[in-house]
Amino acid sequence: MNSIVFENVCKSYGDAKIVKSLNLEIKEGERLILLGPSGCGKTTTLRMIAGLEDITSGQLKMGGRVVNDIAPGERNIAMVFQSYALFPHLSVWDNITFGLHIQKLPEAEIKKRADEALEILNLRGYENYKPKQLSGGQKQRVALCRALVKQSPYFLLDEPLSNLDAQLRQQARTELVRIHEIYKPTMIYVTHDQVEAMTVADRIVVLKDGELQQIAAPDTIYRHPANTFVAGFIGAPSMNILKARFNRDCICIGKAVLPVPELWRQVIGQRRDLLLGIRPEHCRLSEDAAVQGSITYVENTGNQRTVELQLESGENISVTVSDRNADVQNSSGICFSWDDVSLFDVTSGRNIGYIEKGEVFTDAMGS
Amino acid sequence: MKTKTHQDLCWHLPLLVAVFIQLWPIVFMVSTSLKDMDQIFQATLNPLPLPPTLNNYLTVLGNFPLFTYIYNTFFIAAFVTVFKVLTSVLAAFAFIYYDFKYKETVFNSMLLTFFIPITVLIMPNYLLMSRLDLLNTPWGVMLPQFVDGMGVFLMRQTMRGIPKPLLEAAVLDNAGPLQVLRKVVLPLIKPSIIAVGILFFINSWNEYFWPLLVLQDKETYTLPLALQMFISAEGGSEWGIAMAVATLTSLPPLALYLVCQKFILNTFMQSGVKG
Repeated sequence: MNSIVFENVCKSYGDAKIVKSLNLEIKEGERLILLGPSGCGKTTTLRMIAGLEDITSGQLKMGGRVVNDIAPGERNIAMVFQSYALFPHLSVWDNITFGLHIQKLPEAEIKKRADEALEILNLRGYENYKPKQLSGGQKQRVALCRALVKQSPYFLLDEPLSNLDAQLRQQARTELVRIHEIYKPTMIYVTHDQVEAMTVADRIVVLKDGELQQIAAPDTIYRHPANTFVAGFIGAPSMNILKARFNRDCICIGKAVLPVPELWRQVIGQRRDLLLGIRPEHCRLSEDAAVQGSITYVENTGNQRTVELQLESGENISVTVSDRNADVQNSSGICFSWDDVSLFDVTSGRNIGYIEKGEVFTDAMGS
Repeated sequence: MKTKTHQDLCWHLPLLVAVFIQLWPIVFMVSTSLKDMDQIFQATLNPLPLPPTLNNYLTVLGNFPLFTYIYNTFFIAAFVTVFKVLTSVLAAFAFIYYDFKYKETVFNSMLLTFFIPITVLIMPNYLLMSRLDLLNTPWGVMLPQFVDGMGVFLMRQTMRGIPKPLLEAAVLDNAGPLQVLRKVVLPLIKPSIIAVGILFFINSWNEYFWPLLVLQDKETYTLPLALQMFISAEGGSEWGIAMAVATLTSLPPLALYLVCQKFILNTFMQSGVKG
């Protein structure tokens, strides 16, 4: 079993706590994305797996054995660095086979593995090039190639696509998933790019200030964020969060009073003040709007328009409109369906529950 | 335009004066070596030897064991250079690669050795060499010079310029410390090693004071010591011959510097910028 388990793992530099009591199980062969803003501890977490950072307290298990004191080279890990870390004095071929020579594998085996990896990543013909002669995309593929030839059960990637332009990034994402499907290593991938996270991951771990916020499949994280931080972090434009008050089976947003369906009433229970989250694409502009507001700004991004509205309550919300022919200027506010709503506790910011296929769920952390 | 030229002149004039002050002794040395004794005393400050003569050089090559002195100097300079580079690289690598307690304190203490005047170290070093029975041998000259704080400092600054992920990538491939040093670090800092090596070589080649104390027999003399024989009470005042020896002595380090000037400048620039 090539799973990775964090048990109460902490990492501190002096008084600064970077990772706070992380508990996490990464299943064998899955693609797990560590996602979060800068300084959230995602790279530190990855480096702890690699053994490049010591663990301050707690236990890290890989394949069932505690690896806290195991040297990085003995963990059998392949890693792609953000800067690619290609040796500038070595050719592409020597870069790829560097680790295999250290392992003292037979020459025939080294050649077989390197040839195979070069083929998979379309790097044939570049074997004798030095890294400085390659483009950003090619360097990234060489870095992947170097990780691939190790045929290691653990594949760690630290923002591997951050230096590529948007078009190359999309190609590289597809390539990464394809490679993973071939070898099925346990893949841990650090990024702050939510599109990368959503497209590559089997599961996403969202971190903030060294604390785990949510771990779930991309779809679950998008539809049922565990708290207002996750709701705001995932999705662009981010989820609209509005102050709401529950009173006599209705919910009030500013002056708007909206009846609450029976199942949602069960979720809300005795709560009075709430935060209501609704994604911009789930809001509908309407001339006969349930929640009144006026348009302040329209941004056209080609495939859609993002409309900014100021509600009567003074809160600002975003609405995305994909229909090119929609008349946005005559809208008086927004409507939305209760199927698309998330409700959060006003003090803790935690999701209080959701409804899926007619069933009430009150734990939105996912697993 | 006029203002710019004026500004340029203001900057360049002091520099030209500084260059002249630096170069004058060298010009004087070469020109004196090409003059006969009469010219030396009649036109002392005239830089042009009219007519130039190679008599001094012929005398030196004919009557003077120049090649013995060149061999002695080269032997010492080469050994000192190799050992100093070796110790500097290994110590600097330890400061870069390993995390250990009081690392910064140890490094700073080593930097403090820059500020200890050489004269302070002469007596303890002399006594040590005497106890080891190494006086009057090349090893007595070499041994105290095998480790150099400046070399460690320069090598460490250069190694700091290597991106950390390169070392980490090698470590993840299970490369041991010596493999990381040999396969990653050394190839990347080769130009700096050459530069530092040349500086060590030139310094050792020109060293006068310490060999003067340690070496007593003329057969063991290095070139700078041999030079003094012509301008001392013992050797009289054979200025022309002395300057010919001085010119010959200066040629190898000068040639080395000119060939490798690029590496040397880069190394010092790195040590300043990255520090």
